Amino acid sequence: MKSGLRVRRLLLSAFATSVVLLLTGCWDRLEIEDRAIVLGVSVDNASPGAAKRESEISHTAEGFPVPNVNMIRVTVQIALPGKIPLGPGESGGGGKGSEQTVWVIGTEGHTVDDAIMNLQQQISGRLFFGHLRVIVVSEDVASLGMQNINDYLHRNPEVRRMAWMMICKGSAEKVMRAAPELERVPALYLMSTMDNAVKLGKFPENYVGMYWSNTAKQGQEGYLPYVELKKEQNIEVKGLAYFKDDKLKGMTKPFQVAAYMSIKGMNPAGYRGVVKIGGDSEMVMIYATSRSSSIKVRMQDGEPIVNVSIFTEINLEEKINDQFTINDSASLTQIEKQDEKSLKLEVENLIRQMQEKGADIFGFGEYVRAKKPGYWNARIGSKDRWQSAFKELRVEVEVNSKIRRIGMKAK
Amino acid sequence: MKQAKRITTVQVAAIMTSTIIGVGVLPIPLFAVRGADSGAPLVTLLGASVAFIGLFLIARLGMRFPGQSIVQYGEVVIGKWLSWIGSIGIIGFFAILTSLTAREFGEVVITSVLTETPLEVTVIVMLMLAAISTRNDITTFAYIHLFYFPLLIGPALLIVALSLKNADMVNLQPIWGNSHKDMLASVLTIASLFQGGFIITSVIPAMREPRKAMMASMIGLVIAGGLYVTIVGATVGVFGSEETKNLLWPTLELAKATSLPANVLERLDAAFLAVWVTAVFTTLFSSYYLAVKELSKLFRLQDHKMFSFFLLPGVFSMAMVPYNILHMYEIIQNVGRIGLFVTIAYPGLLLVVAILRKKRGEPSEERSAG
Amino acid sequence: MFLFGRKKRRRSSGGGEQPWHSADRLNDSVVDGNLERAVGQIRGVLGENDDFTIRRFQVFGRFPAAMLFYPNMIDMTSVNSEILKPLMYGPPHVEQLPEKGGELWDFLLETTLYHSDVRSETLVAKVVSDVLRGQTAVVIEGVDKALLFGTRTIDKRSIDQPATEQVIRGPREGFIELLSTNISLIRYRLQTPDLRVKTMEIGRRTRSKVAICYMHGITNPELVKEVTRRLDLIDVDAILDSGYLEQYIEDNQLSPFPQVQYTERPDKVVANLLEGRVALMVDGSPLALVVPTVFSQFYQAVEDYTERFLLMSAIRWARLIALVFSLVFPSLYVAIISFNPELIPTEFAVAVAGGRAGVPFPAIVEVLVIEISMEVLREATIRLPQQVGGALSIVGVLVVGQAAVAAGFASPITVVIIALTTIGSFATPAYNAALALRLLRFPLIVLAGIFGLYGVMIGLILIANHLLSLKSFGVPYMSPLVPGSPNGMKDLFLRGPLWWMNKRPKFLYPGDKTRISDQTVEDLKEPPNNVLEPAKMETNGKK
Repeated sequence: MKSGLRVRRLLLSAFATSVVLLLTGCWDRLEIEDRAIVLGVSVDNASPGAAKRESEISHTAEGFPVPNVNMIRVTVQIALPGKIPLGPGESGGGGKGSEQTVWVIGTEGHTVDDAIMNLQQQISGRLFFGHLRVIVVSEDVASLGMQNINDYLHRNPEVRRMAWMMICKGSAEKVMRAAPELERVPALYLMSTMDNAVKLGKFPENYVGMYWSNTAKQGQEGYLPYVELKKEQNIEVKGLAYFKDDKLKGMTKPFQVAAYMSIKGMNPAGYRGVVKIGGDSEMVMIYATSRSSSIKVRMQDGEPIVNVSIFTEINLEEKINDQFTINDSASLTQIEKQDEKSLKLEVENLIRQMQEKGADIFGFGEYVRAKKPGYWNARIGSKDRWQSAFKELRVEVEVNSKIRRIGMKAK
Repeated sequence: MKQAKRITTVQVAAIMTSTIIGVGVLPIPLFAVRGADSGAPLVTLLGASVAFIGLFLIARLGMRFPGQSIVQYGEVVIGKWLSWIGSIGIIGFFAILTSLTAREFGEVVITSVLTETPLEVTVIVMLMLAAISTRNDITTFAYIHLFYFPLLIGPALLIVALSLKNADMVNLQPIWGNSHKDMLASVLTIASLFQGGFIITSVIPAMREPRKAMMASMIGLVIAGGLYVTIVGATVGVFGSEETKNLLWPTLELAKATSLPANVLERLDAAFLAVWVTAVFTTLFSSYYLAVKELSKLFRLQDHKMFSFFLLPGVFSMAMVPYNILHMYEIIQNVGRIGLFVTIAYPGLLLVVAILRKKRGEPSEERSAG
Repeated sequence: MFLFGRKKRRRSSGGGEQPWHSADRLNDSVVDGNLERAVGQIRGVLGENDDFTIRRFQVFGRFPAAMLFYPNMIDMTSVNSEILKPLMYGPPHVEQLPEKGGELWDFLLETTLYHSDVRSETLVAKVVSDVLRGQTAVVIEGVDKALLFGTRTIDKRSIDQPATEQVIRGPREGFIELLSTNISLIRYRLQTPDLRVKTMEIGRRTRSKVAICYMHGITNPELVKEVTRRLDLIDVDAILDSGYLEQYIEDNQLSPFPQVQYTERPDKVVANLLEGRVALMVDGSPLALVVPTVFSQFYQAVEDYTERFLLMSAIRWARLIALVFSLVFPSLYVAIISFNPELIPTEFAVAVAGGRAGVPFPAIVEVLVIEISMEVLREATIRLPQQVGGALSIVGVLVVGQAAVAAGFASPITVVIIALTTIGSFATPAYNAALALRLLRFPLIVLAGIFGLYGVMIGLILIANHLLSLKSFGVPYMSPLVPGSPNGMKDLFLRGPLWWMNKRPKFLYPGDKTRISDQTVEDLKEPPNNVLEPAKMETNGKK
């Protein structure tokens, strides 16, 4: 039929035009070399006078007023294309410092997004956060509250939940600029520091996604690694930084991380300790290899009591001197008992320290909520109430250690 | 065109599953935790059970009239004019459902993957894909669903399995959750995710053995429901119910947080989205096919092909109605409630009246049905 | 339906008595004993040809006769000694030769002619068409029938390895152009009365002989009827190759995927016949067609069945991966690099960015340009003579690619990806399917360039939907995968052991369903009989 033919022709031409229109815009195509791949971000407090230095990029005096918050300085580490070769690279290319492989640049702003927009104004490529691996926040900023940082990163679809966020002592920007010898790309060095810490059992696996999960939970608080820049441009893991809601409350010592991991039963275990059996000169170094723990909640007089029972397996690493021998199971048992006592003390100290600050990083609240929902729904029901209830929570700790290996030496 | 009655039971189960698993896979954990916190898997299960009731009614009705679809036996049971109202309601509802599904799909794509592409383009491309595909007959329809079925289940299960190592059992307790104020709303929202199962009313007339329709649709529902429960369980187990409430598309975040062993591929979410596109396509395909097919039967036409492009502009403009993503979700909630009424109450009514009036369909061999 | 879009063709009477231009006036004229008239008519139709000979002679010295033939198409020796000589000389053992023309006929046939293939013909038109086929016609004064001898001998090449399908283990015979030889190659492999061969003539001017082969009792008779019907409808000038036939009988000409398989190997044809398919062969073409076809046939090779099943299953997997590679690899590359670089590990992403830093074009343009040059290169190497061709392909790939990278025109990773894709497309045994996938790459690349991974998925969904709606003579193209039949799965991704595949494919609806008797399957499961076991042999010997 003629009209049928005409209709078909019309449809075809409409289709063709639309195809042409579609083809003229590949809207999202952004070539990889046009992107500025951001590997690491650091957040510090801005130096005084920053407000004056800032150009009016995201806000003006009248129309879009300035948010009334503390100004921060955001620094990013951008990978230079082509400067990070995959193969063995030219000789001398690796050791010359970070200037060769990355570009570190920073600017100030009122909020994280503000600062990043200010930064984008200065950079040619589009900032791309898909490979963001480390976020370093200085202590000062963290004590004032992490809410803005968390919200920005959470909303951005490019950011991955497996990135590492850490709190550092002093200036975070210095950490960003550090160029340790071992690795071509500083941000990747930071990342491998943390990944290796996890593998060695020195720190629990705590990506930023998990931190967000923990912070959101009603019966738990978040925590982050606490690092410090050392002289040789390397980073030392100095403990746990614990939070109450979004504010940094304090830091623990490195060994206390072991206590934390024992409570949570996290493996692998990696801390060593000194155990005294008998007099001052009778000391041995033991090394925990694996842990397991079980946390139980029971009700007594209408109040919950949390019972933590920890089981660790330890190796005997080193005897301090030869004046005593270890060649029978009784001495091993003695070591075990001593270890149990020491660990229990440490654990209880840690718990008490957290209770003083009202920061339940162990998640005991979650256990109460899960196992005793009746009590939780009636008496607690929200995060603030748990934070105050946590201070009075009774916790019992039991530790059980077993020596598994004593090395190759017979006594 | 004469329809072959060649659809096997296995194909029907595949059709059901791949239709139900669609765009709702991404936000379902959010809906579930809103209802009962850590009791999210339970809420999902309850939602599936509500859908089960609806599906049971529809399957029973379809088996009673094995050669006809709901438009046709509606006329038989309650008379021409009344059933026209019901049928138009169904067709309109599924056209709206198609548009909302396409819109939700477009929103996900432009938010998480293609941030610069205009929403209209993503929506129209998907709708055109569905429209082109609906020009086939029902046997090809069944083949397409059967083919894509393992492609949906496999990666979904893979991601769930890989993410379980990060899951914490504490997050899933107490099993019935802590707060229940919005539980009913969540259950209904989740039940409305299963509405695609209505496609079985179009499929039964073309089945080789209509007696097995009940079993096939039940199997399909169990698989889809099981997959939903597993996904919700994995998401809440990994993130915890509170964090899940913060996420608009928790399943996508779950895929983001998962990595293959030895870090071969790091962020699986882009790959997951690619698989999810297939799931959305099968759902869109089914609901659009249902609308087009039933419309052609309403007008007693042999061929449904002309409607596939005819309805397209209407569906597209409906897809552009919501102003933004939150508005869209509100509309989806409301439309879902209405849909539950249309897909459960109306067939229920038909079934009751049919039993009372002792109406039954012939197990037709000669009818050019379907 | 599959005839949609094709104009109705005029029915020809089965087998090809189609009118020619110059022969119209010959319609009903017969050989009636008048030698000069018949010869005059024939010469009038055939025109002035220097390669057409009319040899006049006298039968037994008495009856004038003429022999008409094309000397280039006959076996001259046999014509001389078996036709001319006995006709001129007369049988030595007979005393009395016939006097009249009327008795001559039986006499000649029974006692004189030594040739085994003799026919008689009255219609002049038919005599002409037979002479055109290389037969020799003898017209005798007074005899009202013409004698036709089957003397067709055309120079042919020897049976050689099939050029396009070479195997390590398997027969090395390939079809040649002559239909008779090809049929013989099939017959000696299927020495059973069930093999039926029907011939037709298709093409007005070429009068090409087309043979339809099938196995009676296995092939579904409806299929044979349908094939014959579709062939009957073809009314064209010329069928020069089986490829022409393929295009006329296909279900869907618009699809890039072939619905008819072709092969040069007799063993492949025989295997397909035994499964219940129909084979078509055209005189003048060394490629036989096999219908109906399903997609899984395109990555199965003959060697799969002659070697051990575990190894061949692994190799089949490699082939499948190569097939998928050749389709999606470049588009995936474009999608990931331009849209989603977060999918690749960080160090790799930065290195790729470095590799691309000097290239002025976006990734999609670069990929398209290199792909198109690759296609051009491929076409060029096909047409080059042997000696130059080999060198050029290596030069083309290595040197030009390297130079392109050094010139900053392409990044090294792109070249690697394209090279892998090209090599992958060679791994597909069937050239026509490989061609389809090769060319479908381009729309996928374009889609990837517009929408990224999402575009690749859309493209793949479109292709999959198309494949799922395709049918070849009614068989769904994706059988046995899609109308899922567990029996068919045994040969789909893995090659099951031979004793597993004891039934013919269900989707061909064969008559006789079993291939291997149950007894053999049982016997194979028995433990082996260790005849020459040392333990047994030694003790026996020592006794």
